[in-house]
Amino acid sequence: MAKLIAVRELKIDIPKEAKILAERMLKDLENSKRPVLEAVKTSLDNSFYNSKVGFLTPGDKVVRTELNVSSVQKLARVVFVLEILLGNLEVGSVNTKRELYYMAKGLIKGNSRLKPLDFEDQPESDSIIDFIGDMLEVYREELNCFANDRGGQTYSQQLIVTETMADGEKAVIDLSTLGTSPFQPKNKPQSLKLKARKKIDFCLVVESEGTANTLATMGFTKRNNCILMGAQGVPSNGVRGWCKLIQEQLDVPMYFFGDLDAYTMQNIFRTLKAGSAASLIRNADFSAPNVRFLGVLPEDVKKYDLPHYKVKESDPVEARALKKAKDVLENDPFFLDKKNKNLADILRFLIKEKIRCEQQSYFSVDPKDPIKTEKIIIEKIKRGSYV
Amino acid sequence: MSKITKSSTAEYFAKNLQQVGFSSPLKAVLTTLKEAVDNSLDACEQAGILPELIIEVVKIGSGSTKNTDLIRIVVEDNGPGIDPDDLAKVYGEYLASSKFGRGQCSRGQQGIGISAATTWAQMTNAKGVQVISKTKNMRKAISAQVDVDIKSNTGTLRNKETMDWDRPHGTRVEFALDGRVQLNGDGGLLTYIEGTILVNPHMTIKYKLVENDWVTIERVSAVSPELPEATLPHPHTFKLGEFITHATLFGKVPLSKFLKTGFSRISDQSLKDFVKNGLPKNLVEKPVTSLSEEEFKKTFQAVQATELMAPSTKSVLTVGEESLSKSILRLGEVDFFAVVTRKPCICDFKPVVVEVALARFKTRQTELDAPVQLLRFANRVPLQFDKSGCAITWAIESVNWKSYGLQQPKDSLPIGPYIFAVSVVSPFIKFKNASKETIDASEELVAEIRLALIQAGQKLSRHIKKEFKEADLERKLAHIEQFGPILVESLARIVGASDARKKKAEEGLKKLLGRDSEAAIADLEEAESKLLAQKKKERQKGIGSDEESQAEEHVDVISVKATTKKAAGTKKGGK
Repeated sequence: MAKLIAVRELKIDIPKEAKILAERMLKDLENSKRPVLEAVKTSLDNSFYNSKVGFLTPGDKVVRTELNVSSVQKLARVVFVLEILLGNLEVGSVNTKRELYYMAKGLIKGNSRLKPLDFEDQPESDSIIDFIGDMLEVYREELNCFANDRGGQTYSQQLIVTETMADGEKAVIDLSTLGTSPFQPKNKPQSLKLKARKKIDFCLVVESEGTANTLATMGFTKRNNCILMGAQGVPSNGVRGWCKLIQEQLDVPMYFFGDLDAYTMQNIFRTLKAGSAASLIRNADFSAPNVRFLGVLPEDVKKYDLPHYKVKESDPVEARALKKAKDVLENDPFFLDKKNKNLADILRFLIKEKIRCEQQSYFSVDPKDPIKTEKIIIEKIKRGSYV
Repeated sequence: MSKITKSSTAEYFAKNLQQVGFSSPLKAVLTTLKEAVDNSLDACEQAGILPELIIEVVKIGSGSTKNTDLIRIVVEDNGPGIDPDDLAKVYGEYLASSKFGRGQCSRGQQGIGISAATTWAQMTNAKGVQVISKTKNMRKAISAQVDVDIKSNTGTLRNKETMDWDRPHGTRVEFALDGRVQLNGDGGLLTYIEGTILVNPHMTIKYKLVENDWVTIERVSAVSPELPEATLPHPHTFKLGEFITHATLFGKVPLSKFLKTGFSRISDQSLKDFVKNGLPKNLVEKPVTSLSEEEFKKTFQAVQATELMAPSTKSVLTVGEESLSKSILRLGEVDFFAVVTRKPCICDFKPVVVEVALARFKTRQTELDAPVQLLRFANRVPLQFDKSGCAITWAIESVNWKSYGLQQPKDSLPIGPYIFAVSVVSPFIKFKNASKETIDASEELVAEIRLALIQAGQKLSRHIKKEFKEADLERKLAHIEQFGPILVESLARIVGASDARKKKAEEGLKKLLGRDSEAAIADLEEAESKLLAQKKKERQKGIGSDEESQAEEHVDVISVKATTKKAAGTKKGGK
């Protein structure tokens, strides 16, 4: 089977690295020494942010797993799953995490000696796969473990994408020829080359996939030289890599248009712009630090008299988001950075006012004008009304 | 205006039997059995006889009321017997009691229960109770049917005859009444009998419940509990009305004499203190019969305002940790148990003693997540209804059992195959209702019960911790056996290592994990030695037989050695 196109230029050779690791563990055991596995600690307390770099980077903290009676099960599982992944890399087959879970079960079923390793449910095997990635400091895609590419539906009259296929063939996709269908990027930014037919003025990432579709249908991309994209909630790796690619290759101003609430700010926008603590080792290739927050801004609520709601403290999701916002203001290096003070101010506003205002509320401004929302967006961009 | 009529006590109770435990066919059977057994045990104790009870509860037909069976309840004892002249009073007259308000820790108190049972039988089956009784002075036993004459609240004897009875003395009562039988659960007959067995180690009992076989449980203590002397009430437990009524019992005596002889803890000094606290001096020697209500009130207020010594705790009776620990083994095969008898203390100016027995049974595999079986006792009588309002339940729920190794949902009874038995003994126990089902929860009483439970919980936790450490060690050893070889094999496969390297790595791994299991063994040994120390202490108090505990100690030592040996096999050359 042909080799897959790499996600990035990887400095290490995974099978070789894995062998070195196994060799070291075996040697330790032969010497009655406790083998230790170390993985980057992927949490907020090990995240650093430098506005010049633009995304969250890992610190020195590691999660150490030393062999003892309690950890022997985890280590045995790590080595067991690593072997499966190495096999996949060797033959070039790819799988999702769920498929890997069932493959592990299948192998265990076929060998009664392996029975103690059996996974009760998928989160158990997922955490082992994540640990292996963090340990080798490689992306799961580099271990041939792919996630479903959700979101990222893109509309543009100017954008031409050239994809290099696994067999070296090239596919050219002119987005203007797709009719009403969007282009949806796969999570392999390295195999894509972007070209603009005409100068592209900006890229707009809309939180709601539905609203992005409405804008496109009403002719947003016809009237504006732009790229219009639906994020579909928390951006997937595919969306994040795709935004990074647009930033790198086209160097166009990028704006994010979403709800005004704590969840959107800290979970969706922050992840798109600077990555997340859980994906520390991959933020470099999966964040677009240039993207700006176009709205809904607190001032817009007043200016356009947008309908908004009190956060229901009884709603666990919303209450948790607000509670998290307070924590984030104290501990998240991204929001603590001076450069992002205006974004942190929005969080403070939300904590104080306890309101939320949805992106679709722009449709209330002039219900008779079907492109009023587009007009406001363009006006805001021109006016520099973004953070 | 309608005519005011006066009704007899019997009439009142006949109309309100639900107040005294006859609110359903189910409760009727249980209450009848309970009242008969209480009387038998009390009588034996009064006479210093070790009780031997024979109980039979069987269905003999269908009841006259809807959805009931006709149930025969027989309770026979080897007690002193009842004087033929008293038979009618005991079984057919309400409030005819030798125990009322006497300040003794007897099971029965007022003299309502057995007459109520007779009334129930009479009302549902048109026949009172069939009694056979013989005292040691009688050559022949007397047999009669006792009915309650409801209009006059007196008992009447029917079909009285003498008969031969092979017992030197004793009483046998037989009721036939409408009811329903439930064996297990909170209101079950078996639950009642087990509870009675637990707190009466000196009792031998033979019983047959419905179609089950006869069961005999022998006594484990040859000592009849010594009934403490009756105690006078403490004035601080009285209300004004009671105080005045109490005074009328004393006839024309000076107030000072009434106070000193009618109550405990009132001395000449107390009388002086009463005067200081507002008792008019001229009342002290005035006869109580001539005191006005106003004067009684002044006296009462002065008494309440004066600090008095707490009542004596001598009047309470305990089962004792030793007897309790033997008795608990009569309920089934136990894994382990803990018993605590608190020192008598004063709660709400009444002497109280709390005893707790907690045990885990091998043979009682209750449903998973079922709460512990709770046995509540007041003056050694099992309480079986309305547990949620009881001081004992409150106290159990207030303890954090998780810290003793038991599962416990928030503010609830803990979970597991345990029996939690809590006994409260006091000459002046306060019930929430006349049928003696729940102990009124005063703060002081709940706190005292709680302390007893905590002590027992700590003892129990030693057993549970040892078990937990054992499981931990077992799990760790299993882990080594299960995962070690898999880890080494996978590593060797990835590296392409030789068999020799594989073998060496396996040995290395065993050494490493052997060190870990040594730590687990040390933990277990610590837990075991703590438990042994506790058992030793208990043995000094006579809890657990010597033979058994010696054997136990032996086994413990062996088991530690065995596990150490087993682990040592995996740790050759370790350390």
